[in-house]
Amino acid sequence: MEKAKPARKRGILSEYIAESGFDITFLVLVLTLLTIGLVMLFSASYTYAYYYEHGDSTFYFVKQLEFALIGIVAMFAISKIKYEYLKIGAVIGIGVAVLLLGIVLLVPEQVPGFKRWIPVPGIGTFQPSEVAKLALILFCAWGMDKDHKKIVGKIPVESEWAKKIQGITNGKITVYKSLTSLFIYGGVIVFIAGLVYAENHVSGTVLILAIGVVMLWMGEFKSHWFIIGGTLAILMIIIFVLNPQLLENYAGERITAWLDKDYSPGDKRWQINQSLYAIGSGGFLGEGLGNSKQKHLYVSEPQNDFIFSIVCEELGFIGAAIIIILFILLVWRGIVIGMKARDRFGALLSIGIVFQVGLQAALNIAVVTDTIPNTGISLPFFSAGGTSLCILLFEMGIVLGVSRYSRLPKADAPAPARTGSRVKQNKAGD
Amino acid sequence: MAAPSRKLAQRSLIAAALLFIVGFGAGLVSLFRIQLLHGDEYQQRAQEQQLSDTVISADRGTIYDSNGKIIAQSAGAWLIYINPSKIKNDTQKEAVISGLTSILGVSEETVRKKTENVKYSYEKIKGQVETVQKEQISAFIKENNLYGVVCIDPDTKRYYPYSSFASSVIGFTGNDGVGRYGLELKYNDSLTGIPGRIISAKNALAGALPNEYETTYDAQQGTSLVLTIDETIQYYLEKALEQALIDNDATGAYGIITDVETGAVLAMSSKPDYDLNEPFKIYNERLSLELQQQSEAAADDTEKTNLATNMQFRQWRNCAISDTYEPGSVFKVITMAAALEEGVIDESFTYSCTGGIKVGPNIIHCSRLTGHGSQDLKMGLKNSCNPYFITVGQKLGSEKFFKYFEATGFTEPTNIDLPGEAVPAANVTYYTQARLGIAELSSCAFGQTFQISPIQMITAVGSIANGGKLMEPYLVSSMLDQSGNTVYTHEPTVRRQVISEKTAQTTASLMEEVVKGGTGKNAYVAGYRVAGKTGTSEKLTSDGQFIASFSGFAPADDPKIAILIIIDEPQGAVHSGGGIAAPIAGSVLEQSLIYLNVEPRYTQEELSKLNATAPNIVGSTVAEAKSMLSNQGFTARIVGDGNMVVSQTPAQGQTLPKNGVIVAYTESEGLSTSGAVPVLTGLSVSQANAQAANSGFNVKITGISQNSGEVISYRQSVEAGTLAELGSTITVYFKTDTGVAD
Repeated sequence: MEKAKPARKRGILSEYIAESGFDITFLVLVLTLLTIGLVMLFSASYTYAYYYEHGDSTFYFVKQLEFALIGIVAMFAISKIKYEYLKIGAVIGIGVAVLLLGIVLLVPEQVPGFKRWIPVPGIGTFQPSEVAKLALILFCAWGMDKDHKKIVGKIPVESEWAKKIQGITNGKITVYKSLTSLFIYGGVIVFIAGLVYAENHVSGTVLILAIGVVMLWMGEFKSHWFIIGGTLAILMIIIFVLNPQLLENYAGERITAWLDKDYSPGDKRWQINQSLYAIGSGGFLGEGLGNSKQKHLYVSEPQNDFIFSIVCEELGFIGAAIIIILFILLVWRGIVIGMKARDRFGALLSIGIVFQVGLQAALNIAVVTDTIPNTGISLPFFSAGGTSLCILLFEMGIVLGVSRYSRLPKADAPAPARTGSRVKQNKAGD
Repeated sequence: MAAPSRKLAQRSLIAAALLFIVGFGAGLVSLFRIQLLHGDEYQQRAQEQQLSDTVISADRGTIYDSNGKIIAQSAGAWLIYINPSKIKNDTQKEAVISGLTSILGVSEETVRKKTENVKYSYEKIKGQVETVQKEQISAFIKENNLYGVVCIDPDTKRYYPYSSFASSVIGFTGNDGVGRYGLELKYNDSLTGIPGRIISAKNALAGALPNEYETTYDAQQGTSLVLTIDETIQYYLEKALEQALIDNDATGAYGIITDVETGAVLAMSSKPDYDLNEPFKIYNERLSLELQQQSEAAADDTEKTNLATNMQFRQWRNCAISDTYEPGSVFKVITMAAALEEGVIDESFTYSCTGGIKVGPNIIHCSRLTGHGSQDLKMGLKNSCNPYFITVGQKLGSEKFFKYFEATGFTEPTNIDLPGEAVPAANVTYYTQARLGIAELSSCAFGQTFQISPIQMITAVGSIANGGKLMEPYLVSSMLDQSGNTVYTHEPTVRRQVISEKTAQTTASLMEEVVKGGTGKNAYVAGYRVAGKTGTSEKLTSDGQFIASFSGFAPADDPKIAILIIIDEPQGAVHSGGGIAAPIAGSVLEQSLIYLNVEPRYTQEELSKLNATAPNIVGSTVAEAKSMLSNQGFTARIVGDGNMVVSQTPAQGQTLPKNGVIVAYTESEGLSTSGAVPVLTGLSVSQANAQAANSGFNVKITGISQNSGEVISYRQSVEAGTLAELGSTITVYFKTDTGVAD
């Protein structure tokens, strides 16, 4: 724990306030993506809003803008808090996430068959899975940092059952703590994913599992588990792709619709075809900002999961590529912040968060381009959704908070403090 | 507090590499493929759905008569359809059924069936619905809140303001607006406009997008036709044919009137006819009765439908061009013209008719079995003597006969611009030269044993009137675009010079003799020198039935119009062309020539019977008036007991027949100024005159006017028994049944 500097007394709260500056590059990337996202949201959503929100073309844009402002405030606020205090939220967070996911399963369905949203008076709805993702990252970062030695070391489990196993197998099998840890964290991840799956939310489940795997990987669990797990996952995917009927109805149907490009029952490919028409119409340079024709009710949810199709139509390949590069830069910067973080907790937190954003963006783009079966994944910074944007900016705030203690050039803090903290960090890192 | 390890950095790099390459890389590759490699395909498919292509239907061209009167016109109408998939419940269904049934007059069963096709969203109930009914439907929809269930679309409807007018010529369009018959069919491509299109961007709800993408291609109205048919002349012809149909209890009456100089058809009619606005209904009683009888005997519904269809086609048939008949004696003028042209005979060629002539082993009889005696050409034609023309034909020989038969256009269709013209077939409808043996040649010479169509006959007669030039008959004189600019003008087509002008003139003057005092005398019109020829032939298709015809033209010395009148299967005692067809031709020619402002030129004899102008007798004493009128040849009829004439009918300056009656009123009030019209039919000219004078009316004599006992009036312009003003003129039509057999 770092001590508050005597020179900067600010009363009781100063204990928790970070002093050093954050990474300006990361902030610029966040704000750039947010700005592009807002502009594109307005462009993509106004027709849809006009028709479905009682003629209010700016409905989604204004709402998103409000949440963006709240989110920015939250981002700066959380970045100001010394991130080690977030550890307090690790266990609480995972508890709250489980609770919310449980509630979601009990409240009446808004869309038959889908139990993803919790109605919040005054705000609308929000998805507990959004909270669950952050909670999981936070929990893993905290736990894997705490249990690092158990995970990487060769520490036998001292419990009775472990000794029994050793006895039965004549000492051939020793249960190490690395294995039990894997079971603990893997169990939490699978449990959370299971709850999300119970919501009939396949994409959320996939995302939770992917984030979990990234956290396990970053938590430095043994490589062979990933090789075994990866092989199993690939086998599973192959089985499900070849036998979509094994999955629940709607998920299976979407795989079928993905495999068979002419699949027509129930217009299951309507959404994705409209998306492809939009993207294709964009060509290299695009139709120009605001000129999408596919957003005129052809592309379903042009303000949400399929906003990237409209982006591609209006800004073309070049615009889409720039946005993808911005996402890559954001992820990369987050990794750099993590790698240069003061401690493992910060590193896992920052890397986990940017990977979550990166994975979500990559999956969303894969969906709209028909690269993977259609599943509802929103595009960070772009898709309409107040709570998820707030949570996203909150997460960005956490990364900025971590960056304050990274060994990187900083902004917004007095120069002496920067040097000082850097020296300390170096020491702490050694 | 452990700082991030080197291993974490390595693993970060591996994870990042995977995410960037597999995750974003795949996305970029997909984008590259979709946007750059297949962009055009996707864009095309996007545009297919984004662009709404609305068809603007083009109005069908209008059909005008030669004076610009509208004969056929398209106007906006409505199409009513239902969307069965939107019917909510049985109550609504029943409402739809009862509403549509009562407003549109569609059978309940039909509507019910359509409402039950709940999988469909479009079931047409009725097209070409009038605006009045459409308004009722609108109100019905509003009242029962059936928006989206019962729907209205614009449609067009063809209107024929003159109903049955020239129906077999004009034809009609089907419900789809495509020409089905007559000129509507023949000129369908011209009449059909080019539909316009509005191509605009639309959203997925088919709402138009307000942007610059809209492109409009205006609909081009179809070309309008200006016919050679003159509504007035057509009216005269149709009225006369209709009367002939009744008078003779005939199955059909057909007539054609052409402009001899151009070949333009001024009128063409086939009676019985039908209302073009409702062509599928059978109008003629004879036909509907026949259909009813056939239907009763029919085995099943399919047969019944077929029978009904057949009957419709019979009703629509333009017999004037589609039917063929044996022209009979009318054809003798062709034989005569050929013989004169070839010089095998001249006007002085004499042959003595004994009532029959031996041709090969058979004897062909003349219509007068006692024989006509010695005749020259004029008399032979006037008497329509068969042996005379058999002899002429034999003198001509098969080669020359066939040369003129062919040249006059009997071996080919006339190419009139109508569908369904009868096409002559060699050795079926006529003999080729090789098959013209002596027997065939002999019968052909007086118009038997071969079949031609009426339009061929009048075209041939027209060539005699037109100085030997065979014209191609036509009905469309010009075409107009939607702004009324002429885009096409028909140039009269001369098929060929058949005979010399001189021969034509000789033939015409001989034909005039036929009307002056021969079999065609019932076609006589004072002031207009009518030339013509009568014909009567037995029908080959039905035993004991005849076809009576008359064809001619007027004035003989400067022909303007040609006419052909055919009465099919007349049932009266008189069934000769001269007896029943000639009077019709005469009266129609007279009306038409007057209408066409052809100056009448009277002979001395005709002049003597012409009208006079009533002198003024008002203010004179009764005695003065009587003497003045008798001096001028008028008959005075005094009404009232006064001494002074206070008024007169006809008034001063009005025309009345010479020797007519002038009614003098001696009291101004309390006197009946009108009287009952007497029966003026079945009388001779002098009887009719006397009868009219007794009742205080004047008579205008029309038709044959030789004052002999053979000439009998057959019709009067004002029906007997009706009240008419005393002194007014009643037209009385005369004809003779004597000396008109051919």
